Amino acid sequence: MEYLLILLAPIFGGLIYGMERVVRARMQNRVGPPILQPFYDMYKLFGKEPFMINNYHIVFAIMHLMTLWVAVGLVIFGANLLYVIFIHLLSSIFLVLAGYSVNSVYSHIGSNRELLSIVAYEPILIFVAVGFYILNSSFDIDIIRSQVSQVPQLVLLFLAFLLIIPIKLKKSPFDATEAHQEIVGGVEVEFSGVFFEILYMAKWIEYIFIYSILLLFAGDSFLYGGLIFLSVFFLVNLIDNSTARIKIEHLVKITLFIGLSLSVLNLVMLGV
Amino acid sequence: MSEYILMLIFLPLVFAITILFNSVRVRNIATYLFVTFLVVISIRLFLFNTIIELSFNHMVHTIFIVIDFILMGYFFYQGIKYKDKLIGIFAVIQLVLFVVFLQFSHTLISQDILVDKVSLVMLLVVNIIGGIIILYSLQYIQSEEFKACKKNLFISILFFFIGVMNLIVTTNNIEIFFLAFELTTLCSYILIRFRNDELSIINARRALWMNQIGGVAILLSLLSGVYYYDTIYYDTLIQNIDGLFLLPISLLVIAAFVKGASIPFDKWLLGAMVAPTPVSAILHSATMVKIAPYLILKISPAFSPTISLAVIFFGTFVFMSASLLALGKDFFKEILGLSTIALLALMMAIASIGTPEAINICLILIVFHAISKALLFLQAGVLEKVYHLKYLQDIDYLASRSKLLVFFIVVGFASLALPPFGAFIGKFASIELVASLVRENIFYIFPLLFILIGSVFLTLLYFKVLTKLIAQDNKVYETISIPWTYKFTSFILVGLLFFGVYISYVYNFMSHLEIIVAAFLILLTFALLYMLKFKNIKRVSTYNCAEKDSVILSAYYFHIANKYKELIVYISIFIMVIVVYLGII
Repeated sequence: MEYLLILLAPIFGGLIYGMERVVRARMQNRVGPPILQPFYDMYKLFGKEPFMINNYHIVFAIMHLMTLWVAVGLVIFGANLLYVIFIHLLSSIFLVLAGYSVNSVYSHIGSNRELLSIVAYEPILIFVAVGFYILNSSFDIDIIRSQVSQVPQLVLLFLAFLLIIPIKLKKSPFDATEAHQEIVGGVEVEFSGVFFEILYMAKWIEYIFIYSILLLFAGDSFLYGGLIFLSVFFLVNLIDNSTARIKIEHLVKITLFIGLSLSVLNLVMLGV
Repeated sequence: MSEYILMLIFLPLVFAITILFNSVRVRNIATYLFVTFLVVISIRLFLFNTIIELSFNHMVHTIFIVIDFILMGYFFYQGIKYKDKLIGIFAVIQLVLFVVFLQFSHTLISQDILVDKVSLVMLLVVNIIGGIIILYSLQYIQSEEFKACKKNLFISILFFFIGVMNLIVTTNNIEIFFLAFELTTLCSYILIRFRNDELSIINARRALWMNQIGGVAILLSLLSGVYYYDTIYYDTLIQNIDGLFLLPISLLVIAAFVKGASIPFDKWLLGAMVAPTPVSAILHSATMVKIAPYLILKISPAFSPTISLAVIFFGTFVFMSASLLALGKDFFKEILGLSTIALLALMMAIASIGTPEAINICLILIVFHAISKALLFLQAGVLEKVYHLKYLQDIDYLASRSKLLVFFIVVGFASLALPPFGAFIGKFASIELVASLVRENIFYIFPLLFILIGSVFLTLLYFKVLTKLIAQDNKVYETISIPWTYKFTSFILVGLLFFGVYISYVYNFMSHLEIIVAAFLILLTFALLYMLKFKNIKRVSTYNCAEKDSVILSAYYFHIANKYKELIVYISIFIMVIVVYLGII
């Protein structure tokens, strides 16, 4: 069962991505593409003639995808949450290296911003793990998932986590790392055809990763899980549609300041 | 076994003298043999894993005291010669304190040499990593413009340093510890001013007076120890100490902060960069700064909970601040230096917790940090000597020039920041450990915060540096061959890093699954980079949105305003004062 879930993770991710495009279109009063549009895109990219710049570029992209997939696999198997976060960090690092391995300005700017965004979200992600650890005296995702929902105790950490979701999913107002209109997709700019597919698929898996961490807050309840997922999904897209992009410096400052204060406050509350 | 210890301490000193007047060839062969000898002995000692005790006779003690006086006299002479008030004053203070100390007698007697598990690990680090660096410097020093005799002197001093380090990590007598501490100060002073130009001498003098502060702290600790607790030995002091009066201990903590180059003492280690690169390598990895976490490990059983908390605050705060300061640097060695300062502070913080788990984590950090930093500094030397590059902004497109060099640097940085390497395991376990302390005492939340932010800064720093190396362009560069000694020593260090992964697998530093997964991912990356060449796919140049302008690589620099730098210094001095204060109440 777990293996099947891991194998199908990209498909689910693709479906979420497709759904997202529909939801966003409806918010803008458009009809929008069909839900399966990401898969059609995939199919079309297969037909393109492959071009590449150098092999580092491609290998790092492949490793980005692999590592992210492994991270999702570890979440599904219920491994150590802190460890999963570091494997996820490794995958982001591969993406950064891929961006730097070509001699292109936009790619480099994208990588630089990716690095800065790591500074913004990584401490908060680890604090979320620490919050769970203090409640359950274990980092094991299995144990965290077998508890009743811990949102009441971790409500501030939950909010801090909500703050970083748009960074990882490249949603407005925190989408400066990708910023299509400004730096043409950042790291993505030099990928084309079948190689772009690697990054495209990694993006879907990133959805699964972020939402599966989010579901830890729901504990063992499917009902809560569904509720949290749907409401956060809706909220993220609503905010994406209604805000403008902010600069990367502001992104780092805002998330670190607000996110860390919320996290520390929450842990102090747990302690007393 | 005790003769092995004596060999490790005194043979390097004898050997240092014998190679002074030999030809290059004889010197090199003898050095290879002797380093092998040191490595074999330290490994044998480690494998026997017994507690070794021995004492020196009265005669040796007297010689030690004479050497002490000569040393202080030499420092005083240096103070006069360069008209440096600080050095002179500290030398006089040391002299006075030492004479006062000699008036006291003590009745609680213990062993002069006491080798336990921690010492054995330190011996391994000193002899293996130190040995490898000496082999490297055989080649390096030939490319410097010194007289043949001075080149031999360089190698001699490095051996002398190793002998002194072997003494410092095995001794149980604080008086001998003070002597060895001053001798390491002397070694670093001579090595830093080795080039004998103006800048070297200024930096060496700074290193000298800062380290003299450490010496003064140890002497004060000795005095208070002998006055209040009637002993000058670590083990009897720790057994008999009263939790309400910990002055001898808190003064030793200050000495550790000095040797570990923690802020505000960071200037001496950063100034040491002017010396030939092997000096930085040996100061940062195998010797000198490693005294700091070792000393804290040694005295942490006597810590009161408040002192322990204060040291953790200090260590983690410096860890975060030094990582932050490193983000604004451009000089490759300076970046490495600040990251050393950061990690040493982390080691001291973890060591001060003092539980068996914390001791293990600290040892893991000491060992693997030593290997990674040695590897990185050796590459810094290659960059300087072979490619004539010092600054980060110049080392563009290195991947197009030397794949091997980039490989070494990537492994060096990756092994400090990523799983499954030892330094990562240490950091990971530290986070777990401090998180578990938060459950008991909510104040630990701040050290935890500092560690998290600091380690994210460090990761950002390492990969910011890598970004400059990894970019490739299509120009054809002439290939420059790297001398085989450089490659050989670097490969041994890389081998040690991967051997460390195997060791952590066998001894379960992390769960098997966690190590296998990460090792698989890292090895897969190297395998793919090596094998996947995509021969049949059409190459294009970068799209770059069709802009024709040439690309100039650059990385982010973080400008840290002076007022923040000052704030950092004030906060760390404040915590240091608190540590001493906690010793008195």
